[in-house]
Amino acid sequence: MNEAILAVVILLPILGGVLVPLLPFKNRTQMMVYTEGLVLLNSALALAMLFHRPEGSFVLFRFTSDLTLSFHVDGMGTVFAAIVSLLWPLCVLYAFEYMEHEKHEKIFFMFYVITFGVTLGIALAEDVVTMYCFYEMLTLVTLPLIMHTLTREAVLASRTYLYYSLGGAAFAFIGVIFILIYGKTPNFTPGGVLDLAAVGDRVNILLLIYVLCFMGFSVKAAMWPFSSWLPQAGVAPTPVTALLHAVAVVKAGAFAVMRVTYFSFGPDFVRGTWAQHVVMALAIFTIVYGCSRAVKETHIKRRLAWSTVSNLSYILFGAAIMTPLGLVGALSHMVAHAVMKICSFLCAGAVICKTGREYVHQLDGFGRKMPKVFAAFTVAGLALMGVPGLCGFVSKWQLVRAAVESRDPLAYIGVAALMISALLTAIYMLTIVVRAFFPRKDFDYDTIRDVKDPGWKMLLPFAIFVIAIVAIGLHSRPLIQGLESIAAQLP
Amino acid sequence: MEFVQNFPFFSILLSLFSGPLCSVIGGKAARRVNLAVITVVGAMSAAVLSFTICSGEAYVYLMGHFPAPWGNEIRVGVLEALMALFFCVVMFLSMVGGSLERALEIEAEKENLYYVMVNLLLSSLLALIYTNDLFTAYVFVEINTISACGLIMIRQNGRTIEAATRYMIMSLLGSGLLLLGICFLYDLTGHLLMSNIKEQVQILHGTGDYHIPLLVTVSLMSVGIAIKSALYPFHAWLPDAYGYSTLSSAAILSSLVSKGYIFLLVKIFYRVIGFDIVRDSKIVNILFAFGVVGMIMGSVSAIKEGNIRRMIAYSSVAQIGYIYMGFGIGTTAGVIASLYHILSHAATKSLLFVAASGITDASGDSTSFFDLTGAGYRNKLAGVAFTVGSLSMVGFPMFSGFISKLLFAQAAVDSAYYKMLPALIALALSTILNAVYFMKTVIRIYTPVDREEVQRRGFRKVTFVDQKAKSAALVCFIVLNMALGLCSEPVVRLLREGLSLFA
Amino acid sequence: MDAWILLPVILPVLAGVILLLSLAFEKRKNGREQPDREPDEARLRSLHRYVIAVLAVSGVLALAVSFSGEHSVTLFELLKGIPVYFHVDDISRLFAAAISVVWLAVAFYSFVYMKHEGKEQRFYGFYLIVYGVLMALSFSGNLVTMYLFYEVTTLTSMPLVLHNGSREAIMAALKYLFYSMCGAYLGLFGIFFLYKYCDTLTFTAGGTLNLELAQGNVTILLIAVFGMLVGFGAKAGMLPLHAWLPAAHPVAPSPASAVLSGVIAKAGVLAIIRVVFYVVGPDFLRGTWVQTAWMTLTLLTVFMGSMMAFREPVFKKRLAYSTVSQVSYILFGLSVLSPVGMTGALLHVVFHMVIKCALFLTAGIFIFQCGETRVEQFRGIGKQMPKTFWCYTFASLALIGIPPASGFISKWYLAQGALEAGVGVFGIVGPAVLLVSALLTAGYLLPITTSGFFPGGIVKHGKAEEHGTGAAVDRNEQKDDGKAANLEPPLAMLLPLAVLAALAILLGLFPNPLIGFAGKIAASVM
Repeated sequence: MNEAILAVVILLPILGGVLVPLLPFKNRTQMMVYTEGLVLLNSALALAMLFHRPEGSFVLFRFTSDLTLSFHVDGMGTVFAAIVSLLWPLCVLYAFEYMEHEKHEKIFFMFYVITFGVTLGIALAEDVVTMYCFYEMLTLVTLPLIMHTLTREAVLASRTYLYYSLGGAAFAFIGVIFILIYGKTPNFTPGGVLDLAAVGDRVNILLLIYVLCFMGFSVKAAMWPFSSWLPQAGVAPTPVTALLHAVAVVKAGAFAVMRVTYFSFGPDFVRGTWAQHVVMALAIFTIVYGCSRAVKETHIKRRLAWSTVSNLSYILFGAAIMTPLGLVGALSHMVAHAVMKICSFLCAGAVICKTGREYVHQLDGFGRKMPKVFAAFTVAGLALMGVPGLCGFVSKWQLVRAAVESRDPLAYIGVAALMISALLTAIYMLTIVVRAFFPRKDFDYDTIRDVKDPGWKMLLPFAIFVIAIVAIGLHSRPLIQGLESIAAQLP
Repeated sequence: MEFVQNFPFFSILLSLFSGPLCSVIGGKAARRVNLAVITVVGAMSAAVLSFTICSGEAYVYLMGHFPAPWGNEIRVGVLEALMALFFCVVMFLSMVGGSLERALEIEAEKENLYYVMVNLLLSSLLALIYTNDLFTAYVFVEINTISACGLIMIRQNGRTIEAATRYMIMSLLGSGLLLLGICFLYDLTGHLLMSNIKEQVQILHGTGDYHIPLLVTVSLMSVGIAIKSALYPFHAWLPDAYGYSTLSSAAILSSLVSKGYIFLLVKIFYRVIGFDIVRDSKIVNILFAFGVVGMIMGSVSAIKEGNIRRMIAYSSVAQIGYIYMGFGIGTTAGVIASLYHILSHAATKSLLFVAASGITDASGDSTSFFDLTGAGYRNKLAGVAFTVGSLSMVGFPMFSGFISKLLFAQAAVDSAYYKMLPALIALALSTILNAVYFMKTVIRIYTPVDREEVQRRGFRKVTFVDQKAKSAALVCFIVLNMALGLCSEPVVRLLREGLSLFA
Repeated sequence: MDAWILLPVILPVLAGVILLLSLAFEKRKNGREQPDREPDEARLRSLHRYVIAVLAVSGVLALAVSFSGEHSVTLFELLKGIPVYFHVDDISRLFAAAISVVWLAVAFYSFVYMKHEGKEQRFYGFYLIVYGVLMALSFSGNLVTMYLFYEVTTLTSMPLVLHNGSREAIMAALKYLFYSMCGAYLGLFGIFFLYKYCDTLTFTAGGTLNLELAQGNVTILLIAVFGMLVGFGAKAGMLPLHAWLPAAHPVAPSPASAVLSGVIAKAGVLAIIRVVFYVVGPDFLRGTWVQTAWMTLTLLTVFMGSMMAFREPVFKKRLAYSTVSQVSYILFGLSVLSPVGMTGALLHVVFHMVIKCALFLTAGIFIFQCGETRVEQFRGIGKQMPKTFWCYTFASLALIGIPPASGFISKWYLAQGALEAGVGVFGIVGPAVLLVSALLTAGYLLPITTSGFFPGGIVKHGKAEEHGTGAAVDRNEQKDDGKAANLEPPLAMLLPLAVLAALAILLGLFPNPLIGFAGKIAASVM
């Protein structure tokens, strides 16, 4: 396939998105058809492109002779691009029903669609500069989405998000510079590009820079101590929280971390040094910290957001193991978490959008009134806990396998942290489920008479996600084999 | 000798003599003359630039064909021509962008005086760029100071008078130190012509004689210029001067005047003392330290500021810090980065000033943050321009600020340990701080307010048609900024080439 | 492929799911919610028939599977190299058979009992599902499959605990859930390590640990195994994760308490047996600090459980503590890692299952008939329900271990195992603690019998309906008019109790087949 398609899938949604508020739609349906059509078309193109990967790379623009915006598909990019392309149309569909009563719908969909292109840009970036550029752009185009409701909290949340993200990028930038200067090439190469001869005796400095870079990129992945923006950003409309703050944006952070770890600095360079221990310890701490905060939180979306904080650090933990298996673990959790967290977020969104209830203690008896939504929520919750047979177990297994094989005592502690986190996950997810399905015996169902399942546009995504959770859980082999083949490229 | 080689001399003279001319004609005519002069000078600089690029070397031009030390010399290379051209472009756009404010804020009968000052300023800038004579440089530094005071004072209110006085005092202090330095040098070497001084200084350095006096001289001149260009902690005069003067003054002052001094400092480092000696004298380390501190402290002050104009002014303090930090790194790469930042900051800062005025126009001329809410919707172009400027300041890819950040970081990575880490971390921190106040403003101007509230307070919508000149200037600034961000390579190449011809 | 061995798993699970789904659909059809609509008699009868039919058929199937030779089936690969794999071996047989019998008996009993709890359909739905899952747990052929069904057991049995929907019930259910989960994750932690250091996770008598690989990683492996012991011990009520038991039992309906205590707690025992004797191998643990710690924990639990039971006035809670203590007898038997001890442990699994179910059923009868939950209320009650009380007494004697009742046999083997095993000071301390605990057991069970039959005064108990469930009324003040009412429960309740009580004695009188079977298992793994 022609390499130009790489640029097409990125630019099409960006340009098409800009057109959303400009085109003269007669009514909402037309706008919906246009938006969904655009996203579907782009997803189809992207998936087709992923199936017939173009070998070469495409240079969109040259800043200077050695700084380019260029795109290339490799295994890791495929994983992220595929996740994004599969989820986006579904979430747009869901957003149609969700956004019905919100204002400035066109602006919302404009940025929502643009974000699609930018995220693909991160996934398909060939070199570290391109990724950095799209990473920065992602911050910017998602900002209006968080601000969307324009309430005071929304503005505050978006500001926090911006400061954290740009700040993280500023530190990540230092790492980017080092890769440019000490790397043989800025392009992502499995096993890293560092020119060890040029590094000479500056190993410790470089490790410090690696830590800064790791922490910088993991700001978007909400690693402690940079995690508080994520729960705050929960004020955004749920399609945003679900897609961006459970998948696209936060995974972009994790993805970038994996890129710089495995493809730029190189796992061999960092493994076994103090830098690895620092980043791994932070990830491990976040795993437990996020869960504990989730248990404490009573706002349903914020609770899920804290859960995301913890789960993203699973991915970072996988990345920090710095073995091929660790990469498999991280990528598999990236896939698994995408499905299960988006599912649970959409459920929460359905509840909030259809009933206006936002706190856990208001959900008594909902299981009977919204059986489909809460069935999906239960499945997602069990998957998050890591019940075997659902996708969460698969990824957790891979992560832990990597940790155990690494024979690093700190990684063992990480395994223990994963288990603690699983327990806490059980606590914060199942308390909701129990409440919803088994209300107190004197519970009066008349108080929730208005509650009922949402329409098909919301239910269809649920059904698909639940099927995906179970399917990946029961038949993980193709996925894991695919990921292993990616990791096999590492030297 | 080609005819074009005369152009630098012509452009200095032209702008110098058009000054007195303006004093005798009316305001409107003076404005036309001024714009024409800037255009012509710009065109001539462009011609000189292309000539020097083609010839690939710098040339010395003897004024009136008298050889030194009796005559006066100017020296022209790629770097000088590029700077001259760029200064003209920014000045032209600033003048165009600020025309509306000038009409409102300057008394009609004094308008021609304003152009006198602007023309003198231009001539002094050009002279600072081109001259090869240290004393000439000093003379034009003083002309520069006085005309800058005029630019500040022309808008008559209490604040500007106070600001101008402060500026005057600080500037004269700086000039005094500079003059002391020049005297010492003259004493040590017996020359005023830069190339001659350099020869002598090299000899002195070789023998090791007069080590301390030389050090003192370099420090005096560096500190003098640092004061004049508002390096932290000598920045106290700056926020008021930029914050309350009329728009085109603020834009010109912030983006050109301080840069002229800095260019002079580069010249002193490279052409008078020799960069190796400067580096060995450790004076760069001091500049580095102040630069780094300035990067942080300027931004911190900007965050605390509630007035958008003063906020942008404080941001200049931080940006000047960047430039000195680049010098302080002490490598050619660092100086290149600083030179690039001179261009990038000039393009961005004037853009921000003009855009900010567009925003305040749509908010009842209030500069306080609270009133700016939703201004991005009332003046769309200014909103976009402000966003572009802010993103550039934050170092967002595609805009000029990103390239300077990149160059600074690359220069820092190749420097010594004890400079690399502070420089990199200061860069990162400063990015965050920039983000805090600039993006806060961007979010603020895009936060909608009720329609009633807007009507009650009488905020009007500003469209493209209302302010043609300003809008055109804004568009040009945006293009300039993005051009610097997207096609930086030729510029950087020119800078590198120019710097190699410089010494 | 012997896929049919999954029938006893699939049949009850499907049947249970159908019950729950039909419940949900019915509720939606009715539109408006009626929280506790009284189901009519005919409907209830058909529900009972359905449940009993399913349980009987699947029970027969389970026995058929168990005793028709070796079977195994691989369903699909859950993860690469880790299939969902079922295999029937002797341990599976023992557990499947015992569980089936007890489950059926308790089901009969619950038909009457559950009338006063309501929401029968939901109860039976989960009751059937849990049965299926327990069968799957018994038949699991590798560690991950077992872990899978262990988790599912927890999840599906939780609704049984919170059945009555009171605040305490919900809290207790959550407590049960989280303790079990915590244990399960500790187990999972170990599984991860065993996966790395074992040749296979498929259960193999004697263990599959690859000692070459383990060389140099013994410490982490021991930690992992210890974690598994503690973790799976949570369900078995072993210290330090025992606290859910006393919380869950008083609030759960009595049939649920009976199976929870009698059967589901044994799931933890099963898991520990599988881990220690079929994956890690007893030789690896023998003589290590893990064995010492494990023995210490079990003995502590035995003693502490009895002490707590002795002090506890609420009858069901007392029984719960008793379970804590008794299940740790089993674990102690396992922990000495000797064939005789393990024989005793396996015997005690069966005996305790029968006895404890019987005891909880009596507790249920007290509640159902009189609404009485505290032991001091039981004075004189033996006169009004002698049959029930005799059953209670027999079961108690069996639990204390008075010869020739069943408990005696198992305890004899346990003590002998401890003495023989060569575990140093524990060889003496262990039997001593068991003895003291037996005395305490007598101390907390027998006074009820004595005061029940010999109240030392005239005490009459009323029917539960007359004074409301659970209300404590001073019986002495009741009017003394005529004969005390006969409080004997209906036959459907009494019969299962009698059967279980009889089994408790009979198994002690004719223990040889069972001892042989358990001995065979023990010999195969050591």
